[in-house]
Order: sequence, then structure tokens, then C-alpha cells
Amino acid sequence: MRKTVGTLLGKSVAQAVKLRGKSGGQAMPGLVVESILPGYLGVMLKQLPEGVVLITGTNGKTTTTKMVVELLRASGKRVLTNATGSNLTRGIISSVSQQATKTGRLPFDIAVFELDEAYAYQFTRVMRPRFVLGLNASRDQLDRFGEVDTVARLIGDTMLSATERIVTNADDKRLSLIADQAEMPVSYFGVAPQLLKYFPRDDELVAVEGSVPTLQAAEVPLSVELLSFKNAEAVYRVGKKRLATSLQVTGQHNFQNAAGALALVQAILPETDPAQLASHLAEVKPAFGRGQAFTLKNGSMLQLNLVKNPASFRQGLASYAKSNTALMFAINDNIADGRDMSWLWDVDFTSLQGQKMVLTSGSRAADMALRFQYDNVVVQTIEPSLETALHSLSKQPGDKVIFATYTAMLKLHAILGKQAGKTL
Amino acid sequence: MTQLRIVHIYPNEMNTYGDCGNLLTLKRRAEWHGLEPVIHYYHAGDVFPKEVDIVLGGGGQDSAQGAIQDDILRIGDTLHKLVDKDVPMLMVCGTYQLFGKRFITNEGQEIKGVGIFDVETLASPKRLVGNIAIETANFGTLYGFENHSGRTILGKGQAIFGTVIRGNGNNGDDKTEGARTHNAIGTYMHGPLLPNNPVLTDSLLQLALNRRGITHKLKVLDDHFAKQAARNAQNRPY
Repeated sequence: MRKTVGTLLGKSVAQAVKLRGKSGGQAMPGLVVESILPGYLGVMLKQLPEGVVLITGTNGKTTTTKMVVELLRASGKRVLTNATGSNLTRGIISSVSQQATKTGRLPFDIAVFELDEAYAYQFTRVMRPRFVLGLNASRDQLDRFGEVDTVARLIGDTMLSATERIVTNADDKRLSLIADQAEMPVSYFGVAPQLLKYFPRDDELVAVEGSVPTLQAAEVPLSVELLSFKNAEAVYRVGKKRLATSLQVTGQHNFQNAAGALALVQAILPETDPAQLASHLAEVKPAFGRGQAFTLKNGSMLQLNLVKNPASFRQGLASYAKSNTALMFAINDNIADGRDMSWLWDVDFTSLQGQKMVLTSGSRAADMALRFQYDNVVVQTIEPSLETALHSLSKQPGDKVIFATYTAMLKLHAILGKQAGKTL
Repeated sequence: MTQLRIVHIYPNEMNTYGDCGNLLTLKRRAEWHGLEPVIHYYHAGDVFPKEVDIVLGGGGQDSAQGAIQDDILRIGDTLHKLVDKDVPMLMVCGTYQLFGKRFITNEGQEIKGVGIFDVETLASPKRLVGNIAIETANFGTLYGFENHSGRTILGKGQAIFGTVIRGNGNNGDDKTEGARTHNAIGTYMHGPLLPNNPVLTDSLLQLALNRRGITHKLKVLDDHFAKQAARNAQNRPY
């Protein structure tokens, strides 16, 4: 009964929101169903024969979830997942009610949800997950979390709620310590020792010269290891097999995320041939606003890249900021972006010295320009309006890259979607 | 060229909120003013350098604060002497608390500080987080961002750093923000504080030079980005 009523309620709220052309279509149905029919989510998810899998962490949740979902689907599973970025419990309720049949049946084998690190544990009290993938814990929105240790503890609590297996990053000291103490099987993924410098951990982001904590290789056996990468090509070791693959998903951080995705899918489907998984991985395209490419009217390319915290900003710069590209930095300070601008000072921008075109935009465009001033990076224009800034960026010759905080990325994505009409 | 010796204490542990931005700002502005900045990172267990012009400290995680407590007590006398000699210091958040007399945890446990400021801090479950502006006697209006769970109470006669215009400051009740003893400043303001408030940064540099009797005229630098950022900050929600 609750299944049918909740599902119909969720569907009709979604319809109403859509009809009135309001935003919030992903959160509202979940909010309404949650308050009128508490317990709906648990009842619904119990139908899934192969249970629930959670993916959480500071960076890489959306892209990694997309990889895992597509790998499982390619292996013949019917996978329920949540809409991109809608990673609070209410977003999951919305996704569930919209993807259920009118009688409240969920025609899926397994659910894979991306969950915000602060809400993931709350979710586990509704439904214990079979597997939890903890990607990393890094300084992020400290105005919300307080400190990095708190972030790690939240992710750790979620990992420990798994009923079958934890999958986590051996190179993230905070998370691997927690997993190590768990009385449960753990699959670790990691990168080869010589690659550690490309994937700095939180403490290394801010360590001063001459005192950088030594990069230690993981001390646990890895079920998946990133052995090398160059351009789009990556070589992994999965179990005892070496596998080469090519990723369409851009950004060097995603080579590490893909290792996490492979380790998780291996844990869920131990019988699957790793070579098959590697070839399916090559088919996965970038997620919404995460290194997504657009072709502009004049034929030039524009890449839109979400930056949320020092780690993701640093990875984004290393992957996308080429000397001959025009760069725009769109920095907002809404709740979803983080109100505090301090984090911009934990990113090293000296690699952009001599860059031809640097434009800053968003509600904190001036703060970004101020940050550049102290790394001796010349800023051509400060244009708080995202629309105007995008317009002047589009007129620049050659390829363009935008680094945008969450709400700035959403707005730019909407404008670009209208203008270009076509994503690559 | 005149050297300006900056000591950054516990940079690996006390660095949570972009604190290295304060150091970078002092370094760059010193360069732009024609001085030669020399940076010394002081780590727990090191010998504290003899020649010091400015001392900087940042905020840390609770766990880090515990880790450096013994060491900061060990160098307490040295720090007191430098303060008495008018060495400018900026201690943000966690190091501000450790420069106070004591910190009382939620469990009632007392953590002793170096006592440069006559303040004590009580742990509190609710964090005070948001944009903050204060009015100071010597540096004008300053803008920053606060994020702390400690509530700091000033002893009688302890000078304040500034008066809260918006935000919470020391404790959210008495409108005070930070503390000042000689040229040592303790504050909850990051953002970071120095790039956003070039007047304060240049004042620290000037105080350091005055103390050594050096006459070096600081230049007028282009601070229009900082001014624009400050205007923005005024209108952003707490």
C-alpha cells in the first residue's frame, strides 16, 4: 500500500513541479514523500534482489557512480541509480518514485547511489548497503564540515555500515585506516608508487616545501592498481591481470576513480572477466559538467569543469589548463559552493603565469582575481555576470576551458546547452 | 636589500583554512615593496630562530592542536620575549587559542596555552561560521570569514583586536573580536585575512621595520582587487 501511494505521490509532485516550470524537480518529490510517508524508501528498496551499493567521498562521486552503473549494465544488470548530483536522501526518494511502476514496483536488480558524505550515514539507517565505496576524504566546504577529520569520520561510518564488503582508496590514509580496523572484507584500490605524486592526499595539498610528508606506497594488497597513464590511455592491474584501456572520461583524477569503479564492480560481480570490464570502461562518457566538452557556434571547443575544493581544483588545472587555451574561472559562494573563499588559497596557480587569457566571473570573481594577483597571474577581465563572461570567452580564438564551482557550473551548463545545442 | 624574516609556526599542522595565503601575501608584498622576505618554517622540536621580524600561525584540526601543545609550551618563553620586544605576530584561530591562557574541552579537560593573551576558550558544540567584518582602532574596517567552535572570553584589561560589525567574533555575545598584546594579534578571522586587508598586511610590515629602526618607505600598491572583494564581502550573506 505504502509503495503505491508513495510512488504515485512522488510522481504527481514531480509532474506538478515540471508543469509549473519550477526548478527543484529533483528534491521536491522526495521532500513531500519523506514527510507524508516516512519509511517509503526502505520498503521500496527492500524489493531489490541484489540490494544497494553506495558511493561516497569528497571528490569523484558522480563520475565514479556513472562508471559503476554503466559497467554493471554492460554486464546485464538492471541498475537503479540517482539523478546526477541529486545525492541527498530526498533526491534518492525522488529518483526511486520516478523510476518505479505506478503500482510501486521497482523493475531493477540492484541500486547504485551516489551519496553526499554528510548524508550517506543517515541513508544507511534506512537501508544497510551491501557494498560501500569510499573514494577519498579531502578538505571541502569546511564552512559546512568544520574539519577534514570530520569528513573522514562521516565517510568511515558509512563504510562500516556495509554488510558484505568495503571498497576504498589505499592511498587515502584516513580512509584506509578506518577500513583496516573493520571486521569485514575490504577491497583496496590504489595507484603505483611512482604515480602517487599525481594524486596528492589532503595533507600534501598544504604541506610546505622541504617538509612534504614522504609519499608512501600503500601497505595493503591492492585488488586494482593503476600502473601507468598517458593522455587517455591507462594500464591497470586487476587481480593478476594487466589491462590497458582508453578513457573518454577526461581528467587525470578519473584514472584513479576508474580504479575504484573497477574494484567495486569486481567485488559485486567476482565472476566477470576483468578484460570485459576494462573494455566497457572505455565507453563511459564524461558526466554532467565534469570535464564535459561543448562545440561552440564558431566551431571551437569549450570544456566545462567542476571545481569544488583544493584537490579537485588542482587536478582540474593539471588536466585541462593548457598554455594556449583561454581560461575562465567562475566562482560563486552560494551554500552549495561553500561560502568561504579561503580554499582558493590552498590551490597553487603559479602554473598559469604567462597565460594569455584569464577571466574571472561569478559572485566572487574579485576574490579569484585577488588570489591570482598573489601568484603573479595576470587577470584580463573581472566580469561577475556568468552570461556576459561566457559571451566574451566565446569570442576568444582557440579552445577554452571553464573552471566553475557547483552553482556556477549548473548555470553555465544551462546556457551552453541552449547555445551549442550539442554536447560531444 | 633589507631582509624581512618571517617565521611560520607549525605550517603542516596548523593550516586548515587557506592559512598559507597569509604567508604568501606577506612574502609577495614584501617583494613588491622592495624588501627581501626570508621564510622560516618552524616545526615542533626545532630550535626557534634567533632573528625574527614577523611570526605567523594558522588554524588547525582539534587533533593537530593536541599534537603541538607540548611544543608550543616549550617555546612559550621565547614567544613571550619576542612579544615584549614588539615583534608583530598574527595568530589565527587555533594558534590564537593556544596563545591564550587555557582551552577547556567539552569534557571539561583543561589544555594550557602560552598565555600571551589573557583569554580563555571554551569548547562549544555549535560552530560559528560565516562572513565577518570588524572595526579596528589601527587598521580600519577588516573583512574575513570565521569558522570556529571555541568561545573565547577576554580577561579584564586584555585589549581587543576589533569590534564586530557583522558576524560573531570571540564568542558571539560581547561584540569583541580577537585580542592584541603589543604587536601580537590573535583573531578568528581567516579568508585569509592578509590578502583581503592589505592595510593590515602593510602595517605588520611597517611595524617590523620600525622595530628595527629601518626607514624604508612602503610603496603604494595596486589593491583594487582587494577593495572589490571587500565590497563584495559586505553584501554576501552571513
